[in-house]
Amino acid sequence: MGVVTARDQQATNASSQRAGPRTAAPQSGFAPWKNPSLPPIVRFEGITKRFDDFVAVNDVTLDIYEKEFFALLGPSGCGKSTLLRMLAGFERPTQGKTIVAGQDISDLPPYQRPVNMMFQSYALFPHMTVEGNIGFGLRQEGMPKNLIAERVDEAMGMLELRQFAKRKPNQLSGGQQQRVALARAIAKKPRIVLLDEPLGALDKKLRQQAQFELMRIQETTGTTFIIVTHDQEEAMTVASRIAVMEKGVLVQVATPGDIYENPKTRYIAGFIGDVNIFEGTVSAIGDGCIEINAKDGYQFKTRSSEPVAVGQQVCLALRPEKIRIAHEQPASAVNAIPGKVEDIGYLGSISHYHVRTAPGERVTALRANAAHTVERPISWEDGVWLDWPVDAGVVLTG
Amino acid sequence: MNKNFSWFNLTSITLGFAFLYIPILLLVIFSFNESKLVTVWAGFSTKWYSSLLENQALKDAAWVTIRVGLVSATVSTVLGTLAAITLVRMGRFPGRTLFSGMIFAPLVMPEVIIGLSLLLLFVAMGFDRGFWTITLAHITFTMCYAAVVVQARLQDFDKSVEEAAMDLGATPVNTFFQVTLPIIAPSVISAWLLSFTLSLDDLVISSFATGPGATTLPMKIYSQVRLGVTPEINAISTILIGIVTIGLLLAAYVTKRQTERSERERRKAFGATG
Repeated sequence: MGVVTARDQQATNASSQRAGPRTAAPQSGFAPWKNPSLPPIVRFEGITKRFDDFVAVNDVTLDIYEKEFFALLGPSGCGKSTLLRMLAGFERPTQGKTIVAGQDISDLPPYQRPVNMMFQSYALFPHMTVEGNIGFGLRQEGMPKNLIAERVDEAMGMLELRQFAKRKPNQLSGGQQQRVALARAIAKKPRIVLLDEPLGALDKKLRQQAQFELMRIQETTGTTFIIVTHDQEEAMTVASRIAVMEKGVLVQVATPGDIYENPKTRYIAGFIGDVNIFEGTVSAIGDGCIEINAKDGYQFKTRSSEPVAVGQQVCLALRPEKIRIAHEQPASAVNAIPGKVEDIGYLGSISHYHVRTAPGERVTALRANAAHTVERPISWEDGVWLDWPVDAGVVLTG
Repeated sequence: MNKNFSWFNLTSITLGFAFLYIPILLLVIFSFNESKLVTVWAGFSTKWYSSLLENQALKDAAWVTIRVGLVSATVSTVLGTLAAITLVRMGRFPGRTLFSGMIFAPLVMPEVIIGLSLLLLFVAMGFDRGFWTITLAHITFTMCYAAVVVQARLQDFDKSVEEAAMDLGATPVNTFFQVTLPIIAPSVISAWLLSFTLSLDDLVISSFATGPGATTLPMKIYSQVRLGVTPEINAISTILIGIVTIGLLLAAYVTKRQTERSERERRKAFGATG
């Protein structure tokens, strides 16, 4: 099985270069989680949080390393915000320990913790100017006035806020308020900055800008950022690693590329990006590949990184962009199924093709709209063939 | 406004306001009456106001009233603010419902009952009744109003603002004085004004809680009226109405400005984020 895994890994690396969701992985070569001798900056040890009967966070153990941009991703109510609030000190874990930089901070109140948080609502002090807001944390430390002014100015410069220094929060736009909130969170130069849905209130265009700003600030300050978000695209864009949570449990912790290419469960595959799922049973194992008898009568050949046994129930998850769509039956394809185009979603650079197969399954394929295509364009009600190589899919047992 | 204008509406509003305010208007007009007879108009004069200044008993009563008002409004604002913070910020704690019920009960409790029970308490405890018992009684019944006013504002404001302050290193005490109090200040001011006004014109509870040597203005007026209404009473009542009106208007103004501001902030936030 080890051989299969290694080969599979190569295959996914190759395919992520071909059709991955990101153009280039940021901080390539940055992978402190692979270094076992490096101590983590944040360690959650068996953290559980119960509100009466409801278990918000269930036995989470997680290491986060210095200079990481770590994302906690999941639908609302999955416990990601509660986990972050426990790190900030606003909630007390029912069980478990929180360790920051080697020190157990489980019993410290929020005002003694070496973390600063940026709130979803920004939580700016309405009665203070932008300067006053950013300098608030430094004043609590009793820092001399001239030093405070210097640090405030530095933070304002970093976020282009100098011209708003004397304004009150209610005289600022949403985007400007968001930048003040970020400046306030980094002004104390904490080792860890927590971001609770920091861009949730911005419109899409502004949000993308702000994502890159977050990444820029994180890189220039060299701070550890932990972001909570329900937006998978946002997590993929900014994070070095993503922890996907579902119902209070950590489901998978991996790099964005890994999560996309090798989702551990059907839930993650569906939550991150689009996916086609074929259910079936394993019919044969051999030569690094397994064969799956799909429920609807097809037989697929695919590589598997999961150890499986003959007769086991599995799912084959296939990303739409890994499926080739053509008018003619491909001559030498391992996996090919015919179908009829039911719907076309034209998105400019790419098109989604929703194809109904003979047994009635709906499969989505994705194709780039190359400008000078010689082929006859695929249109509604066309009979087409879908095919994919053995390394295109992921076998899910969960 | 104009769309729904009709003679029926105009008539009913005129009649309604007339019913409510003609007696007060008459009192104000007759306080400027030249004649000693309250019901006969004999020309304009301010002589009753100047004779007030020579009435030592009335002046004493006024001074007691103001002192009681200042002390009780201040104490009940502090206590009411603390009660409101407990109710809004402490989450669910055992006995919360009972606590909130007990805080707000005086709002609906008949004044006679409050007054009588306080009197019984003071007698049982052997307190000398006078200035301090009146003040204590006023604190008891104005505190719930202060709590209601402050609670409304606290419920309105984002708890994460306080969390942010603590997150940035402010202790709970610093958070309260540097963040919470400045934000709720307008409501604390209107709570004080409201308590002061209520204390100023209270008659029933004061009558129960008072003792020799401590007579408030409403009590003085009431006892004099039993001997016959003099224009002097009209004059002092007019002054009292003036003070109460100004207090209530101020409280309303402060609250209104605060609501407008938070409304503006909200609109701005939404407008900016689309």
